[in-house]
Amino acid sequence: MFDWNIIIHYFPFFVTGALLTLKISILSLLFGLIFGLIAALCKLSINPLLRWPAVFYVWLIRSTPLLVQLFIIYFGLPQIGIDLGPFFSGVLGLALNVGAYNAETIRGGIISVPYGQTEAARSLGMNGALAMRRIILPQALRIIIPPLGNNFVILIKDTSLVSTITVVELTLTAQRLIGSTYKPFEMYVMAAVLYAVLTSSASLLLTWVEKRTRTEARRS
Amino acid sequence: MTSHSPDRTQSTMLHINNLQKSFGELAVLNGVNLEVAQQEVLVIIGPSGSGKSTLLRCVNHLEPPTGGEIYLEGVLINDTTKSRRAFESHLNRIRCEVGMVFQQFNLFPHMTVLENIMEAPIQVLGVRREEARQAAISLLDRVGLADKMDNYPCMLSGGQQQRVAIARALAMKPKVMLFDEVTSALDPELVGDVLRVMEGLARDGMTMLVVTHEMGFAEKVGDRVIFMADGLVVEDAPPQEIFSAPKEARTRQFLAEVLK
Ligand SMILES: Nc1ncnc2c1ncn2[C@@H]1O[C@H](COP(=O)(O)OP(=O)(O)O)[C@@H](O)[C@H]1O
Ligand SMILES: [Mg+2]
Repeated sequence: MFDWNIIIHYFPFFVTGALLTLKISILSLLFGLIFGLIAALCKLSINPLLRWPAVFYVWLIRSTPLLVQLFIIYFGLPQIGIDLGPFFSGVLGLALNVGAYNAETIRGGIISVPYGQTEAARSLGMNGALAMRRIILPQALRIIIPPLGNNFVILIKDTSLVSTITVVELTLTAQRLIGSTYKPFEMYVMAAVLYAVLTSSASLLLTWVEKRTRTEARRS
Repeated sequence: MTSHSPDRTQSTMLHINNLQKSFGELAVLNGVNLEVAQQEVLVIIGPSGSGKSTLLRCVNHLEPPTGGEIYLEGVLINDTTKSRRAFESHLNRIRCEVGMVFQQFNLFPHMTVLENIMEAPIQVLGVRREEARQAAISLLDRVGLADKMDNYPCMLSGGQQQRVAIARALAMKPKVMLFDEVTSALDPELVGDVLRVMEGLARDGMTMLVVTHEMGFAEKVGDRVIFMADGLVVEDAPPQEIFSAPKEARTRQFLAEVLK
């Protein structure tokens, strides 16, 4: 039968694990946004020295499993002298991964802004970077935010994979507790509930952000 | 009647020499020669696809010409001897001096009318915010839209949007204004307001290159009309001449069609 007492007893451990999951998610989100934006702009660049590395990065990430990417960073890199430790390996792996998906999302948003906007900006003497920052990106944002939010929710769930590289986040917390309690059903259900709380909170937050960007800047 | 007659001895604003432009195999401009005096209003007419837009877009280098030279007050615009970096900033300076108004307005939809006008002066010219605001308000006054300054473009009619676009270009204090069929996307009843603004500009001495199908405007406001076909200037004459007694057969044929 489902043992509620054991869940209540170990609840503080779950909170600690969930907080670490949240921390990893937020850090990966931030870096994932930066990686995504840089890769998107590079992919749109006419300069092949910028474009090809970005194309390669996005292709590589999207055509390999996240688990293998994490293993390469955590187990592989130390062999060539780069030892980031479990936490930063996890954040880097997740950020690189979500960054590649963000890159495609952001690129799609940018190219959906009519070219006349770029021409109007350039005809007023704006350089490419200024036109991108002040004219194109703010308009692209409206299109980018919903799918970006989706990437973020997927990212929260993907953080469970860093349990395999010894980061004691929510999933590994549950696994370790199973080791001492032999109650896999309770522990995994509890982990699942907390993941659902995290992803649903993120979704609600994103809906709010979406609404705000829509009312703040009215568009034709 | 011309609204003003430019002094022909005045120095040249724009000098275009043997301008060529191809898109791959397609030759669109086949050696255009053109001289535009300061304060002159040049109207460009011609059938669709004759290269009128491409000519205007070469002047502010939205399209890089494939041959020939364009000089703005003696300064070579398409100066290919410059390094890439130097050329970029050279172009941005030139574009501050050449205003352009598009058929589709291209206002920035995420900014209010006032912000649309203030954006480039602040970001590009480094004008102080308050100063840019005052200038923008007086420009809006000039195009008759001071009461719309806090609206977003989507709330304006096409004619109003186009007048904002003109104000936005004027905010850079350009030496030349390029108008590419700026009334073609408008409902007929809104065309007049935009043309009146342009007429006022001409009266105030702005140098203008105007691609249009509004022959009434060409006749009334233009100092000179050129007829283009197949990427060439076929005829170049004062409006009275070109409309009453066109020399070239192709001009006659075109005018017969549009005036019919
Ligand atoms: N970016 C482009 N790429 C390819 N062809 C173009 C491009 N822009 C214009 N053209 C072609 O150049 C020709 C002249 O176009 P345009 O200058 O717009 O003519 P107009 O403004 O007189 O109607 C047309 O045949 C058009 O299809
Ligand atoms: Mg055209």
